[in-house]
Amino acid sequence: MNKKKLILVLLLALAALALSACSGQVATNNWPGLSVDGEHAYLATGSFVYAVDVKTGKQVWKYPEEASGSLLFYATPVLTDDGQLLIGSAGTNHSLLSLDPATGRENWAAPFTDAKGAWVASPLAFNNAIYAPNTDGFLYILNMSGAEIADPIELSGALWSAPVTDGNLLYVTSLDHHLHVVNPATGEVSDAIDLGGGIPGSPAVTDGGVFVGSFTTAIEFVQPNGEHEVIANAGNWIWGTPVLDNGTLYYADLSGNLFSLDTATKTQNWGTVKPDGPVVASLLVTETQIYAVAEDGNFIAVDRDGKIVWEKETGGKNYTTPALAGDLILVAPYQTEFALAAYDADGKQAWTFTPEK
Amino acid sequence: MWESFIIQPMVNLLLWIYDILGHGPQMFGLAIILFTILIRLITWPLNASQVKGAQAMQELQNDKEWQEIQKKYAKDREKLAQEQMRIYKDRGINPFASCLPTLIQFPIIIGLYQAIIRAMAATPLDMLKLARTIYPFQNVDQIIPLNSKFLWMNLGQPEGIPLPFDISFLPYGFPLLAIIVALTTYVQTKLTMPATPPNPNDQASAQTAAMTGTMAIYMPLMLGWFALNFASGIAVYFITSNLLGIVQYAATGRANWRNLLPGGNKQTPSKK
Repeated sequence: MNKKKLILVLLLALAALALSACSGQVATNNWPGLSVDGEHAYLATGSFVYAVDVKTGKQVWKYPEEASGSLLFYATPVLTDDGQLLIGSAGTNHSLLSLDPATGRENWAAPFTDAKGAWVASPLAFNNAIYAPNTDGFLYILNMSGAEIADPIELSGALWSAPVTDGNLLYVTSLDHHLHVVNPATGEVSDAIDLGGGIPGSPAVTDGGVFVGSFTTAIEFVQPNGEHEVIANAGNWIWGTPVLDNGTLYYADLSGNLFSLDTATKTQNWGTVKPDGPVVASLLVTETQIYAVAEDGNFIAVDRDGKIVWEKETGGKNYTTPALAGDLILVAPYQTEFALAAYDADGKQAWTFTPEK
Repeated sequence: MWESFIIQPMVNLLLWIYDILGHGPQMFGLAIILFTILIRLITWPLNASQVKGAQAMQELQNDKEWQEIQKKYAKDREKLAQEQMRIYKDRGINPFASCLPTLIQFPIIIGLYQAIIRAMAATPLDMLKLARTIYPFQNVDQIIPLNSKFLWMNLGQPEGIPLPFDISFLPYGFPLLAIIVALTTYVQTKLTMPATPPNPNDQASAQTAAMTGTMAIYMPLMLGWFALNFASGIAVYFITSNLLGIVQYAATGRANWRNLLPGGNKQTPSKK
């Protein structure tokens, strides 16, 4: 190959690199998904799902053992009552998997791969069935062994958040501005309720309806019959799922404001409470404190009166909702040296977890 | 700087077109096509200058004086270079006129590609980036998320027509768009190849011909591969851009359609 030809091929390769570096693939990166049970934290990040001992911060297993080009994880893993760990992949084969939480081995004969889009949302296990919303706009319905037991229900837009249930109905939000109400017993879907802005988080269930935050910056109370009213406003997009605790609704916005709303009187309990940076993640509400992580790496604990008790810098960027593991609060910063860190209620770091190479 | 001067304006222009079109089904695909046309119109003078420069260089290969100096100074490269520069000067030809516009366009193409990817926001993190890219005057709540359905495609995902059976290396089905991308790229590259075979005495001409030949093979394969694996919105951009390139070149009357046939280059008679 002569010199000019070589230069040309190198230029083409460079162009390929420049274009591919822009992540045109279905999905190449996102912040991790995190869930916990009594013993393990389950972290879905990149090519792997890790189980980490919550007492020691040591890796228990990882799935798969070798990275696969077709698997990419960032949806939050879900633990079911019958002892499965469900996790969807945003990789090329769009697989929804069931793992054994103790060993990381696959439970089902084969992963469910009929969805057309990536799995961003977690599924909901309810009444011996799995309801799995996909970015292709369909809600897939499987039995607990991963077999489809009904035709998928076509909702609309990209479904990015886990369904919630009030015990009878399922509520599924969509990025295309709609809230869908599904009767799982009959498969009936009510008319989609337009809330005027994208809804990336799940609703919070309450008596007679749900609270929903959206890109409109409003918190709305929505009834299954489609009636809805704005009960509060934030200063920017609401990304995370609002958390309802004893009649108080906790939520945050992309301007970095934390809110504590008395849902009975529709009044705010606090003045301005702001961690350092935008808040994408949902808040973690415990008996005594509320924990919030901000994009700029800030991690704060707030008491019920809205007073900041302590604040830490985790490093990296925080988008993943913190999780409670016994006395520890786990945070999973994105793009930092470690993948997971545990703090006690006083803000003292107990351990960090860095995946083994 | 790249973000502020290339990506952000391009994303906002794309979204503005999408908003004007009514941001409904099919409209994002249409917005990509209109956006590509607009960018091609803006860069039309650059393309025209590239075509003109390439033509001038092509015609020079058949020039008697040019051929003579190739023979005369075949063994004295320094003198040959001096003579070539003299002829360039005499004829008012800029030897870089054909490649400079390409170099200028390269960042535009990369930026365009990134803008389309950014606008499609396939992951939550991408969505967050997109939200921060949009100018305040845009109707952001209504625009986001983009309706990525276009014809049979989801523009945010690789294209494929479902097959009744599984083929492991075609996870998305039959890659119709990738094939069209490869074909239109091949046609565009072949049309712009010299109408005459390279002068065997002119090393530069022979090397140029070899490079163009290499390009005619690698470019369709590379862009076809992109279309196969990346979001189909990019394939829509490639096809629109290729078709416009073919039309623009054909409009100059210099398109060498015979090149599309095997051995077409050899059969084309010399103009002089």
